[in-house]
Amino acid sequence: MKLKEVDRTAMQAWSPAQNHPIYLATGTSAQQLDATFSTSASLEIFELDLSDPSLDMKSCATFSSSHRYHKLIWGPHKMDSKGNASGVLIAGGENGNIILYDPSKIIAGDKEVVIAQNDKHTGPVRALDVNIFQTNLVASGANESEIYIWDLNNFATPMTPGAKTQPPEDISCVAWNRQVQHILASASPSGRATVWDLRKNEPIIKVSDHSNRMHCSGLAWHPDVATQMVLASEDDRLPVVQMWDLRFASSPLRVLENHARGILAIAWSMADPELLLSCGKDAKILCSNPNTGEVLYELPTNTQWCFDIQWCPRNPAVLSAASFDGRISVYSIMGGSADGLRQKQVDKLSSSFGNLDPFGTGQPLPPLQIPQQTAQHNIVLPLKKPPKWTRRPVGASFSFGGKLVTFENGRAQAQQGAEPPHHVFVSQVVTEEEFLQRSDQLQQVLRSQGFVSFCQKKIEASQTEFEKNVWSFLKVNFEDDSRGKYLELLGYRKEDLGKKIAVALSKVDGPNACIKEGKQESEFLPSAGGTFNISISGDIDGLITQALLTGNFESAVDLCLHDNRMADAIILAIAGGQELLAQTQKKYFAKSRSKITRLITAVVMKNWKEIVESCDLKNWREALAAVLTYAKPDEFSTLCDLLGTRLESEGDSLLQTQACLCYICAGNVEKLVACWTKAQDGSSPLSLQDLIEKVVILRKAVQLTQAMDTNTVGVLLAEKMSQYANLLAAQGSIAAALAFLPENTNQPNIAQLRDRLCKAQGQPIPGQESSKTPYDRQQLPKGRPGPVAGHTQMPRVPAQQCYPHGENPPPPGFIMHGNVNPNAATAQLPTSPGHMHTQVPPYPQPQRPQNGWNDPPALNRVSKKKKMPENFMPPVPITSPIMNPLGDPQSQMLPQQPSVPAPLSSQASFPQPHLAGGQTFHGIQQPLGQPGMPPSFSKPNIEGAPGAPIGNTIQHVQSLPTEKITKKPIPDEHLILKTTFEDLIQRCLSSATDPQTKRKLDDASKRLEFLYDKLREQTLSPAIISGLHNIARSIESRNYPEGLTIHTHIVSTSNFSETSAFMPVLKVVLTQANKLGV
Amino acid sequence: MHDAQMDYYGTRLATCSSDRSVKIFDVRNGGQILIADLRGHEGPVWQVAWAHPMYGNILASCSYDRKVIIWKEENGTWEKTHEHTGHDSSVNSVCWAPHDYGLILACGSSDGAISLLTYTGEGQWEVKKINNAHTIGCNAVSWAPAVVPGSLIDQPSGQKPNYIKKFASGGCDNLIKLWKEEEDGQWKEEQKLEAHSDWVRDVAWAPSIGLPTSTIASCSQDGRVFIWTCDDTSGNTWSPKLLHKFNDVVWHVSWSITANILAVSGGDNKVTLWKESVDGQWVCISDVNKGQGSVSASVTEGQQNEQ
Repeated sequence: MKLKEVDRTAMQAWSPAQNHPIYLATGTSAQQLDATFSTSASLEIFELDLSDPSLDMKSCATFSSSHRYHKLIWGPHKMDSKGNASGVLIAGGENGNIILYDPSKIIAGDKEVVIAQNDKHTGPVRALDVNIFQTNLVASGANESEIYIWDLNNFATPMTPGAKTQPPEDISCVAWNRQVQHILASASPSGRATVWDLRKNEPIIKVSDHSNRMHCSGLAWHPDVATQMVLASEDDRLPVVQMWDLRFASSPLRVLENHARGILAIAWSMADPELLLSCGKDAKILCSNPNTGEVLYELPTNTQWCFDIQWCPRNPAVLSAASFDGRISVYSIMGGSADGLRQKQVDKLSSSFGNLDPFGTGQPLPPLQIPQQTAQHNIVLPLKKPPKWTRRPVGASFSFGGKLVTFENGRAQAQQGAEPPHHVFVSQVVTEEEFLQRSDQLQQVLRSQGFVSFCQKKIEASQTEFEKNVWSFLKVNFEDDSRGKYLELLGYRKEDLGKKIAVALSKVDGPNACIKEGKQESEFLPSAGGTFNISISGDIDGLITQALLTGNFESAVDLCLHDNRMADAIILAIAGGQELLAQTQKKYFAKSRSKITRLITAVVMKNWKEIVESCDLKNWREALAAVLTYAKPDEFSTLCDLLGTRLESEGDSLLQTQACLCYICAGNVEKLVACWTKAQDGSSPLSLQDLIEKVVILRKAVQLTQAMDTNTVGVLLAEKMSQYANLLAAQGSIAAALAFLPENTNQPNIAQLRDRLCKAQGQPIPGQESSKTPYDRQQLPKGRPGPVAGHTQMPRVPAQQCYPHGENPPPPGFIMHGNVNPNAATAQLPTSPGHMHTQVPPYPQPQRPQNGWNDPPALNRVSKKKKMPENFMPPVPITSPIMNPLGDPQSQMLPQQPSVPAPLSSQASFPQPHLAGGQTFHGIQQPLGQPGMPPSFSKPNIEGAPGAPIGNTIQHVQSLPTEKITKKPIPDEHLILKTTFEDLIQRCLSSATDPQTKRKLDDASKRLEFLYDKLREQTLSPAIISGLHNIARSIESRNYPEGLTIHTHIVSTSNFSETSAFMPVLKVVLTQANKLGV
Repeated sequence: MHDAQMDYYGTRLATCSSDRSVKIFDVRNGGQILIADLRGHEGPVWQVAWAHPMYGNILASCSYDRKVIIWKEENGTWEKTHEHTGHDSSVNSVCWAPHDYGLILACGSSDGAISLLTYTGEGQWEVKKINNAHTIGCNAVSWAPAVVPGSLIDQPSGQKPNYIKKFASGGCDNLIKLWKEEEDGQWKEEQKLEAHSDWVRDVAWAPSIGLPTSTIASCSQDGRVFIWTCDDTSGNTWSPKLLHKFNDVVWHVSWSITANILAVSGGDNKVTLWKESVDGQWVCISDVNKGQGSVSASVTEGQQNEQ
């Protein structure tokens, strides 16, 4: 699909990959004249703005130049990784000149944009290339076989790659090798290509097919393979692209004959070596896979030839092509609809040509005929194969229960076309160790009913006074005389109080003792004996006397009250009967203003509500104490509640939290939750745990003491409990989550969560399946087809094994859990070759799952061995098949997969069996050629994170291989390495005594697999290989110190990344061998 | 392999791969039983997405072959129930809308368009298309969780809540775009989020945990992962925070169900887990380097590093 276009007849250069935004520089072409036949020249920079849907490109700068250009490139010289500088534009001019421009200055509009200029060349400079390893090095080519190497840091004097080739010819292309920095290739229209080694300063090989028809117009190195390059021919008689491999330079490796006429330019994608662009005089732009010759894409172009074509380095799907009709077009190779854009283009053409007379002929142009353009295929199909950059190499997605599903594609694309092995890992992500631990403790307490000791532990561990109080209050619930103990907690011990009162009374005045709680009854002054005088005078005393004498208690009391003789009044009232007493009490309380009156009022009147409702909140403790002492059981909870509510609504933040204590006394779970939530930050798992612990304990207490049905759960508590269950589930504790989820609630979110948890456990609660699911789910019919029956026969692994965190939080660290059976898919793929495509069996055949590939006992064993992670190391594959081929039906069924049992034995995790077998097996294996691959990459590891990992755990629950696993054999000449090393390890093992050493050796044996892998892939450099052979020889001669010396030499002279996987273990083995003297 | 997704319950695993297949495994109790090998795509299959189980067992897959296929399990057999061929280029991403909206699937394609398939009953799917959503390609789509404006206020019972449907998309124009369904049912671009300097490879809208804040994670070819948050009720002000700059392409981001952990999958086959600390900084809590096995081997509890 065409994205952008610019009406210029120009050479083009994309900004380097580091640069953002993406720019396209254009320099007026020296070879092609545009429609105006103008001879002026300019250098322009456009910005590629893909968020702008129009076809126009935004021009950023124009620089009027005195040169026209044969070649334009944009190098990243002096750019940093952030792309702060914008590199350097290098232009090849008409008269042997090379000009360096500063693009940032061009964009800034500076007048002085030329960095340097040199006209040392003869004739037009048609070839330029920047070395990608040393971006200050630029190669250029011109007439007379001239090739120069320029150092941008020292531009004055160029170097030559060697003596000029004879006879003198024009150089049409130069290209630096993409893998080896000192290799350069040049090509000329005569058809010859020369490869130069700049270290030797001479041509090392000349490539020509001797047809004399190759007129090289393009030259490009393979982006990945150092020895391969393509040459394109401009000659109409031989319009081909030749792929050469310098190792077989007598004839082209492959010839791409996709163009009908000569090819003018080629470009090889750096992002995907299977994409080579070519444009030719047949007006086609093709994208082919040079490794196969297949045409993957034909760009929809107009009928004009293109003379220059370039991939955009930063956006790999974008390319630009310059055509002879004076236009540079920017395309995407990803296809897409061009409807909207095309219409714009038509409109623009119409408007700009309209009735104009561009050629001054005096006649207006006839109306534009553009039906073809609109009717043309509006939909442009994408490449036949997806480009490399669309293939996701790795991905990890979370799923329910804190499981992380990770897949990755094999690191190296297998050269021989075999699909790299694929594995899916299911890991358990645990981030809240402490949370899980505490949750687990809580569950244990619930099971063991050890509430008191749990509360006691909590009290001891409490950090704050308040926390301590809360736990103390909770604990009291489980003890006898809970009210008394509550009082004690509030600071009122009956014995203490008695002592205090005694002390107070023994003093002359006991003015304090603020609340005496009706203990004053002993305070009666002894009325001394003797006679007394009944006065009936007119004063108050007299009147009282008279009233008494007449039995008028009411008046007498009134008189006493009037005279402030309270005690007299009360005494008289008692004599006057219940009614009068009550009245008198009322009148007394109305008159009295003492601090404690209201308390006394409440005590006497039994009006605790009054106290709770109107006491100063600072005295909440006292109020609560009073309630605890006096309140009747039926009103007790209400009163505690009431006090709590007041504290919550009226008190300051400190008092608000104290409300929790009231609610605990009241046994009001719901309010406790509300209050706690208000006071605490409830979002973190641990604070939720804090709450849930209390709530759960309180509920238990209420159940025990008040024998109430507390199964019904309020909205807020339900929400908290489901939050809690969600958290547990997110940490993988499905069973625990289910246990804590409130039962008797119809809240949809809880019902949904329960459904999800049950199903996640893999064992839907019987009977619930159809009726209680929260969704209108269509259930599968009971009568399933045969194959399914196979599933149900599968023994089920108990849930704990699947979710090991449910009951027992794992030890920290990284534990590989059952790599269930890496060859499972391998096993089932070959059983129905070809069937997958043609007949799509909806289920595996019933007997297949019973072939052991999903054998749960294997998982069991693995689970139990989780404390020995080294047992999960992949085994040495070639030696292991011999251990376990018998009794495994697959090995008989699938003779082409002799090593299938290898991973099985790893499953079983027998510590060492594979070591015993020795290497006698590869005689058999060699002809078969496809040893099973152990999941060497399934050994995960946690490394120091960029930050610092905070003691978290990922646990691999299972690993699913879903693709075929194959592995190349170790080349014959290197087998000796494997046999020698393994033999040595065997010898060491047999003489090693302590388990530590044995384990080391065991481990080493596994890790050497990395070496064998490299041998299979033939990726080791010759120097290392020969070094390894030397070590092997010294092992043969039992000269371990020499082996170690060679080892040191290899390590010090080789690339660390190449050897780090196995050299250290090799050293361990050599050292051990030396020590043990085997 | 290009994608692996568990279903709602975590009991079935769907995978898809370059071999054009979509496979479904029963992984209950640590087992692995191949339930179905679905054939129908004619190119590499990029992504799979499970619909909510209230609609039955439904899986969507998208492929380089320009098709989206919706698969359904009927009577124990998986079959193709719908094929969407409305795209002109590779379909890179599929994502089901929150189940509260009904059965709606968003698909992002390399043709730059995003299409929305809505199940209208009786096997019919209605298609809406946003053309030129991302020039030269949409790489990812992700729905916002179902949140009713002012969701804390109780909705009148019996009345269908008035959801505002939104989703995020990321593409080759380096942009993240937020789309909102207008009252007339048309989709409008609501926001453009700009911070990446190269292709946006993935976007992931975080699940709602009942807070008013919306969060989106995005990752890019440029190696950067951003966390975008929006606090205001109008949903218009989004601010990015750089989680980390990786040295390689970051391909995928995935939120945990509780929205507190982000799994980031990058080049080098690396998966890292990130969590926001109390002070708002994102911290790497785990760094899993599988597939390498070379440099520092496994440093496992109880196993000393021999190197």
